[in-house]
Amino acid sequence: MLIVVLFVLLLPSLVGYVSFKYNDYYLSQQKKKVISTINKNGIDYYLQGDSAYASYTMLKEEYISLMPAAAAVRDTIETSKRVVENDTLNYRILIHEFHYHNQNYLLEIGKTTATISQYNRLLQRFTLFILIGLIVLTILMDLIYTHILLKPLKKIVSTKLLNRKFPFKEPLSPIKTSTLDFKFLDSSLISLMEKIHEAFDKEREFTSNASHELMTPISILQTHIENLMMEDEINEGLQEKISSMMKTLNRLKKIVHALLFISRIENEQFAKIHTVNLHEVSTEVMEELEMRLQTKSIDFKNDISKKVIIKNVNRDLLFQLLYNLINNAIRYNKDNGSIHLSDKLIHGKTYTIFIKDRGIGIKADELPTIFNRFKKSQEFTGEGYGLGLSIVKSIVSFHGFEIKVTSDLDKGSIFSIVIPADRVRLLP
Amino acid sequence: MKVLIIEDERTLAREMKIFLEKAFYLCNNAYTAGQAKQLMEQNEYDFILLDLGLPDKDGLELLNSTKKMCAGASYIILTARGNLEDRIKGLDLGADDYLAKPFSLLELQSRMHAISRRKSGNNDPVLELADFHIDLNKRIVRFQENEIELSRKEFDLLSYMLLHKNRPLTRLQLSEHIWGNFSDDDYDSNFIDVHIKNIRKKMSAYASVEWLQTLRGIGYKIKM
Repeated sequence: MLIVVLFVLLLPSLVGYVSFKYNDYYLSQQKKKVISTINKNGIDYYLQGDSAYASYTMLKEEYISLMPAAAAVRDTIETSKRVVENDTLNYRILIHEFHYHNQNYLLEIGKTTATISQYNRLLQRFTLFILIGLIVLTILMDLIYTHILLKPLKKIVSTKLLNRKFPFKEPLSPIKTSTLDFKFLDSSLISLMEKIHEAFDKEREFTSNASHELMTPISILQTHIENLMMEDEINEGLQEKISSMMKTLNRLKKIVHALLFISRIENEQFAKIHTVNLHEVSTEVMEELEMRLQTKSIDFKNDISKKVIIKNVNRDLLFQLLYNLINNAIRYNKDNGSIHLSDKLIHGKTYTIFIKDRGIGIKADELPTIFNRFKKSQEFTGEGYGLGLSIVKSIVSFHGFEIKVTSDLDKGSIFSIVIPADRVRLLP
Repeated sequence: MKVLIIEDERTLAREMKIFLEKAFYLCNNAYTAGQAKQLMEQNEYDFILLDLGLPDKDGLELLNSTKKMCAGASYIILTARGNLEDRIKGLDLGADDYLAKPFSLLELQSRMHAISRRKSGNNDPVLELADFHIDLNKRIVRFQENEIELSRKEFDLLSYMLLHKNRPLTRLQLSEHIWGNFSDDDYDSNFIDVHIKNIRKKMSAYASVEWLQTLRGIGYKIKM
């Protein structure tokens, strides 16, 4: 580009230089012609009895003059003025001194600088046009060529990379191209996606099999025990023992179920296709937990906006998330305590839900590990198997949200769930 | 009623048979899809309990191929695989219900009962419970002409216990039926006591509720 600009700028001087130089050459050619004519036909061919000879074209563009030389002059080509029939014009003159028949003669051949330059402008324009034309043509050809060359690449991007949803279940067909690099890129992408798909399927199969293998013996035990319970010969003492066995089995069942649940969440086996109103879901959760709230006389307040909806989430998972958090808030609350749900929208950035309780709180050194599996509060033994918050964490990660906790021992805790603003919509 | 239990886990199949026979169902066991098909060709069944994890064929495939053969039967899918797709696919293929293992036998019977009621047009006769009458359709308990108001959960509890009358029912079994399975603790079990107390209180205002027995350390039973 720079070269082109430079060229365009230098063009006038270049053209001028070329035409001048050519003219000088022309003048010396003329001189040679004259000298050879003189040598052939004698100087009288020109002088014709006169001592000097001058001739010029009609519009005084060119002249030639021949006269006895006074002093010896070297050959020169110069630009100077001459008067031709009362007209003073600028000429490019070739001055040549030669010797003929014992006489020195001065030969001048001149051409107006105007004439010399008359084609300059034309030449410049012409060159410029050709240059522009060539540039445009080159650019066009480049564009067309690269478009054709890069077409397979564009196709790869549009068919394989845009709008791809994990786990890449749709069938992938190789694109047609003869370029080795593109073929390689394409086949690598296909193979990569197929591997991901396979791994995902394997993982799902594993979870499914694990579920089957773990739940089947539990199922057998459960039915055994249930049938045992209903035998007529069983006395009360035995019934109590059997009932206790049932409780233990139930505990095992719940833990296995929770672990499998976490496994499925982490293997992305749930679809994020629902649009959810959090106020609605949290109200449903509250209804499920009504009895517990009443038993502890807990005051429950839901200030989550009814107008906010969240897109691309899984409703069942969000229900479970809120259930676990609110259940915890109840469990670790004091009698006559309170639970408060609120939210905060920072436009263009985040939407946060707060679950605040006035419970026993969490110790500062326990805070970092509360989401670990099987972690239970040290303050409070008994209910719960320690997986509630792990499930919450998995669901939060799965959706691409964030969860934060702050707590004051004996005063209460606040759990915050931060949702990116692009998933949030406000109803009118 | 005739029931076909298609389950490859023999111990489980046996327990199911024992339980259902006590509830006066006639049961056949099939341990493979092949056996199941044979039995279905020979007999008419009212209920087909289908495990999805069969050794020789996928349960859903079997369901698909036999649905036409045994059109009058109600299918209940049982599976330990825990896939949501199984449930959706099964119900789409025409199954009447889906139970995830491990399930309670009481729950199984309850579901079968609900399907029967639905299929007979929800035209149940009113049930007698000592001096009371239970109208399952309108969900009302009556003493002579008086209507006794029970909350939704209280009514569910009472009708469940009535369905499984003369059987000891643990708090756990009762609360799982009423509240399902969201939480990871046994907290709900204690609420059963509250509900039973309420039921007793409301109904004893009219007549004796001696038939509603507390089993110390275990749960409750309706004795008739």
